[in-house]
Amino acid sequence: MRLPRPNLPRPKLPKPGFPADHPPGPTRPSFWRSPLRGPWLTSILGSALAPLILVCAFTGFLSQAAYNPALGNNSLLPGGGLGVDLYFFSWPTSPSFLYALTQGVHVTSGLLAIPILLAKLWSVMPKLFEWPPIRSIAHALERASLALLVGGSIFVFFTGLLNIQVFYPWPFRFLPAHYYGAFVFMAAFLLHIGLKIPVARRTFREQGVLRPLRADLEHTEPEPYVEGHVAPLEPDRPTISRRAMLATVGAASLGAGFIAASQSIGGPLRSLGLLAPRSTQLNDGPNGFQINKTLAKVNLTRDDIGPNWRLVLQGGEERILSREELLAMPQHTYDLPIACVEGWSTTQSWTGVRLRDLATLAGAPGASQVLVESLQKGGALREVTLSSGQIADERSLLALRVNGVDLSPDHGYPARVIVPAAPGVHQTKWVGAMKFEAA
Amino acid sequence: MIARVRTLYGASPLHLLAVIASFAIAGYAFFRLAGTPTALQTFIWFAGAAVAHDLIAFPLYSGLNLIARRSLAGPLDNREEDRRVPVVNHLRIPVFLSALSLLLFFPEILGLNSSNYADDTGLGGDVFLTRWIGLCAALFLGSAVVYAVRLRRVARDEDEEEEDGGSDDRPGAATEAGSGTDDA
Repeated sequence: MRLPRPNLPRPKLPKPGFPADHPPGPTRPSFWRSPLRGPWLTSILGSALAPLILVCAFTGFLSQAAYNPALGNNSLLPGGGLGVDLYFFSWPTSPSFLYALTQGVHVTSGLLAIPILLAKLWSVMPKLFEWPPIRSIAHALERASLALLVGGSIFVFFTGLLNIQVFYPWPFRFLPAHYYGAFVFMAAFLLHIGLKIPVARRTFREQGVLRPLRADLEHTEPEPYVEGHVAPLEPDRPTISRRAMLATVGAASLGAGFIAASQSIGGPLRSLGLLAPRSTQLNDGPNGFQINKTLAKVNLTRDDIGPNWRLVLQGGEERILSREELLAMPQHTYDLPIACVEGWSTTQSWTGVRLRDLATLAGAPGASQVLVESLQKGGALREVTLSSGQIADERSLLALRVNGVDLSPDHGYPARVIVPAAPGVHQTKWVGAMKFEAA
Repeated sequence: MIARVRTLYGASPLHLLAVIASFAIAGYAFFRLAGTPTALQTFIWFAGAAVAHDLIAFPLYSGLNLIARRSLAGPLDNREEDRRVPVVNHLRIPVFLSALSLLLFFPEILGLNSSNYADDTGLGGDVFLTRWIGLCAALFLGSAVVYAVRLRRVARDEDEEEEDGGSDDRPGAATEAGSGTDDA
């Protein structure tokens, strides 16, 4: 029982400049057989995908803002970034889970989007081979923009996906490539949705937003063929209904999103996110929670952090403090998260000295900023500048202990910074010096 | 004037303005990256991303789907079970989900990130291959169970119809699946 071929007018001849006939292969409409492809399928996938991309991009740009890139050498972009990369607000310290939330949403929305993106690209594949390849200047520019859209989407999602698994097979630095790749992607994406929202609205008006989901396999019909669009000229019989295909893509999306969310939300969910890079922890002890970089990774030894360690404070005057002297200062305890740019976070109970007390001790009460230096020798994040708001928050600590015990060497012993809502890499470990600037 | 732009350009002037704005933003990012020492490699990876998807991954998975459907349409399609409940999606869906989870997490599943992962986290990364195999097993097992349940249900419905004296020549979508030469 074969579906009748729709009786359609012969495609118009292409304009001069290209061979009149479609070359054999994918440029011919008859090459594309899937009965599911069509404007409705593309529109419904696009409608699911576009909000996820917008959320992912928004939270991604917020992450750049969270580094307070206008301060010191905080910007990790080439040349320290230009005007539009620097943002015009100081990253807040409340709510304390702010960066855990925005970055968890960033990685989760990205993983939710990938299966839908792949299905969306599948649904429009005939357009890549449309013939003639160029019909007008407008068409040529639009196709160039689509190349940026497809290249940009795969590049940005793929680099992000590998970054959360700390795998770097490329020779370039992740952050600028991911960040400026996102600019290219978003530039093409905003143009694309501007041009395609009317098409999707028309399709939904004609075919209903959800009506095709009512059809089971027996009632799954091809969308009508229109020359130059994605519905097939000579469709095969369907082997899966649209709703079953979309349910499969949706399940893949939710599964991937769950994996990302599990290591951001933590608690009992963490161990259920089987493939999440941070789904396990070292042990059940007070220092057993997740580590971003171990002591060995940054080439520090136990001698570097032994009894001879001293904290150098600079401000109006210079102070040199031992760990015992720090422990003799007023101690404060707060439950605060460390939240990684890779989208995982964990909340622990930190105890230490307030940063604002250290500023006062250094002769710079109400300091406008502080340069925090780690003992680690290299790495873009061995020094970080914190803002006046971050210093002033009473929960901002130079932590000496966690969960009632001394910090472990891998968690930053002798002392690490904990600032509410700051990205994990700004919570410097193995602090050697703090240089306050007077207000 | 607008009509002339439309003829020369092929779309409305608003289209042209939107395209210029879009390329201006992309151009900003391009020149910001162009100053870095690894700019060329970045651009190669960017272009390579599109090529890898459109000209390698897409033909590969479409081809695999085509081969699977053709080979299933032969021996399996003639079996009575398969005419009643097509098996194709009970294979295709777990294969798709297994392959996608591998695509998303291949660095840790295959241990390609192992040196970084161990140094960064202090954890052994060797759990992920086992977990992924377990996930695949669960997907295929779940699909098999659903397939078995559907077969039983069809068999029971047919028995009931025979008891009711109903004819068994009704058309069913089940007979239609598994054939054809679709690209995906």
